[in-house]
Amino acid sequence: MRTTLVLAAVSAATCVSTACPALAAEAVPAADLIPAAAAAADPNDLADLSIEQLADIPVTSASKRAEPLSAAPASLFVITAEDIEQSGALSLPGALRLAPNLDVQQADASQFAISARGFNGLQAGNKLLALIDGRSIYTPLASSIFWNLHQPMLEDIQQIEVISGPGGTLYGPNAVNGVISITTRDAQDTIGTLARGTVGTNSYTLAARHGFAIGTAGAVRIYGNWMTRNGLATPATGFDVDDDYTGFQAGFRADFGGEKDHVTLQGDLLKTDIDTGSGDGAKAHNLLGRWEHTLGPSASVQVQGYYDRFERKFNLAEDMVQTFDGEAQVNLASGRHELVAGAGVRTTDDEFINNLNIFQLVPTSRRLWVYNAFLQDRIALSGTLAVTAGVKVERSTFSGWQFLPNLRFAWQPTPEHLLWAAVSRAVRTPSRIDRQLQALPLLAPAPSFDSEKLTAFEIGYRGEPAKDFSLSLTAFANRYDDIRTTEFTGDPFPIMLRNGYRGWTWGVEAWGSAQVTRWWRAGFGLATLKKDLEIKEGRVDLARRNALGNDPKWQIRAHSHFDLAPRLELTLNGRAVGRIDMDPEIGGYAEVDGRLAYQANEAIELFVAGRNMLHQTHVEHNDPGATQLARRSFYAGARLRI
Amino acid sequence: MAGPRRLAAGTILALAAATLPGAARAQVSETEVKAAFLPRFARYVTWPTYQRPAAGQPFMVCVVGADPFGSALDRAAAGQSVDGHRVAVRRINGGETGGCHIAFVQGSKTQPTGQLLAALDARPVLTVTDARAGAQRGIIHFAVVSGRVRFFIDEKEAARKSLGINSRLLALAVGVRPR
Repeated sequence: MRTTLVLAAVSAATCVSTACPALAAEAVPAADLIPAAAAAADPNDLADLSIEQLADIPVTSASKRAEPLSAAPASLFVITAEDIEQSGALSLPGALRLAPNLDVQQADASQFAISARGFNGLQAGNKLLALIDGRSIYTPLASSIFWNLHQPMLEDIQQIEVISGPGGTLYGPNAVNGVISITTRDAQDTIGTLARGTVGTNSYTLAARHGFAIGTAGAVRIYGNWMTRNGLATPATGFDVDDDYTGFQAGFRADFGGEKDHVTLQGDLLKTDIDTGSGDGAKAHNLLGRWEHTLGPSASVQVQGYYDRFERKFNLAEDMVQTFDGEAQVNLASGRHELVAGAGVRTTDDEFINNLNIFQLVPTSRRLWVYNAFLQDRIALSGTLAVTAGVKVERSTFSGWQFLPNLRFAWQPTPEHLLWAAVSRAVRTPSRIDRQLQALPLLAPAPSFDSEKLTAFEIGYRGEPAKDFSLSLTAFANRYDDIRTTEFTGDPFPIMLRNGYRGWTWGVEAWGSAQVTRWWRAGFGLATLKKDLEIKEGRVDLARRNALGNDPKWQIRAHSHFDLAPRLELTLNGRAVGRIDMDPEIGGYAEVDGRLAYQANEAIELFVAGRNMLHQTHVEHNDPGATQLARRSFYAGARLRI
Repeated sequence: MAGPRRLAAGTILALAAATLPGAARAQVSETEVKAAFLPRFARYVTWPTYQRPAAGQPFMVCVVGADPFGSALDRAAAGQSVDGHRVAVRRINGGETGGCHIAFVQGSKTQPTGQLLAALDARPVLTVTDARAGAQRGIIHFAVVSGRVRFFIDEKEAARKSLGINSRLLALAVGVRPR
């Protein structure tokens, strides 16, 4: 893994890539904003029901339109629990395919590269931050996210917010090109028992949870999620990877709350095995506590701390990262002002042992620190116009104090329409790989490797231009500087990582959703990307633009959800992805995922689903030694709720 | 909300409705059901005399902060009458909450629900929150349990605000914090 980065960079790559184990693998795209209300009783009829009858009506989840339009002036797409269920996704990357502002590339049975606004790749994808219930899953070892280390039970997820563009002041470090914020349900909302099993051509899953109340103001749930996935086929010219994958994640969440306080305690335990060799796989666990306290009508505080540890083994390479994080946030409201201020400190302790080849981190083990503080004020200039100004300062072991301001305007002339514009600055701080990877005499450590910098300009519209039709449009121009290069520094060796690229990217993101008929909801999504990044004068990149990622110029999503009958629904998610220019080039592809579900009775739901139904195989990603062919697959399953 | 707004009954639905009286088996959006609950709470809650609407005046359901209901709440309230009083809906964003009997409260990242609740703290107002929007709880806190809209009730907080809650409502709660 770590090694992969530079191995590829130096084109000395052999395999190793799978060392970045990762998991799961189904494909699930689509863009739906407003989950269809299922074929339904006329809501006007609700007026005649008693409260007991109201409390006994099976419901579909609230829609995207339930999202307050006044939410952050940013390119924000929300994936609801209902979207995930209807899509038939069985893993987080599968669910993330629903966001039209994300590019999800499957590398093998367990590894995914996910990015927003470009720079995608198993190694290059280092500009996207992801959080699960406020816990960062971005690793400072390699500046990437190992998606296969995170296998929550998807039924526990309340929603996934996907912001493309800098996350502004409110998220942690490295929210450069986007932020994915996954929140799970309050334990008080998962009382009861739920079980789900699927059997398919490519995978099996089994998951269950049980939630119960503790006293009158608290609840706990426990869950277990097991899955196994067949390895994928190898491209004709490629390198065979035994990527069969088996694993489980189990955990709990407890919530206790009164009128002024809310306390959450949660933790997860993960173990996975990959078929590459004996003992290959990953182990991870985490524990998080959060306390939210309301001080009064205009003030509240939130304090959170967590511990997180993972270790992975592939072949003769092993890595481990242990994280402690503490943060506090205060919200104040006064007159026209809504103020958010906070601070956090995070320390990581890592280790990388590589007996496979000469690439080493020096020192092998290291403790890193990141400190940040932020302040943001949203000022209502008038009833319809608001400005949000924020600044975050951040310091890490590998960088001095960084100043990260952002300024956002929101104009909401009517509740149905929001126009916004933003300018913001973000940085990706150096990782251990950037600074301390060494393979003498070939590669020398780079103690002067600096942060990669972004200034982002965005404008957007979000609203409901017509009844039952929601729309979001965003255009962005990103100016990057000091993006990573691999350069000669000696005569000619050793080589070293440096900050040699700069330039611009542009693009548009659009999505919308409409209730076309009572029984048909349709949605679309579009994202384009144009990259114009150049190497600085007199510099050479030996990694052949590897750090710039391999991105399609465009991708399109289409979504349809049909309520065929009161208990029968069909969901189709199609995606078309443009060609990726690289050597060798990856041709574009189009695929469709679908799910047909039948609610047999109040407790039992039966469903069949297909992934990548149009073709036997296709290629989504090109990583030396890692890429396998994404494959058509089908599964059948049942879900039981008691 | 996701509401099936144009629910002219199709054939299948008409059939379903005809054969299944009351709660149709077909699904309704979560938001529509929550909207239907809100005005109805007025029947199962008692306010101190000084807070009750005067003759000819309506019970006031307020939406404080973000509005997830849209027209669904107006439609739900239109058909209701409680002890001879109409039920009216008001949306409040930063304004005065004086006339509210029931307040659905939903905050944002910059102004959390807890703060909006605290602003209503001293008043005999039935505060209602939604688990979907966050962890902060009013007297009634909506949650979806086993695919149905249910709620938690904080009877202690209700008593502190001089509100009485009818046992029929308490019986429907998935959890009650006693006085």
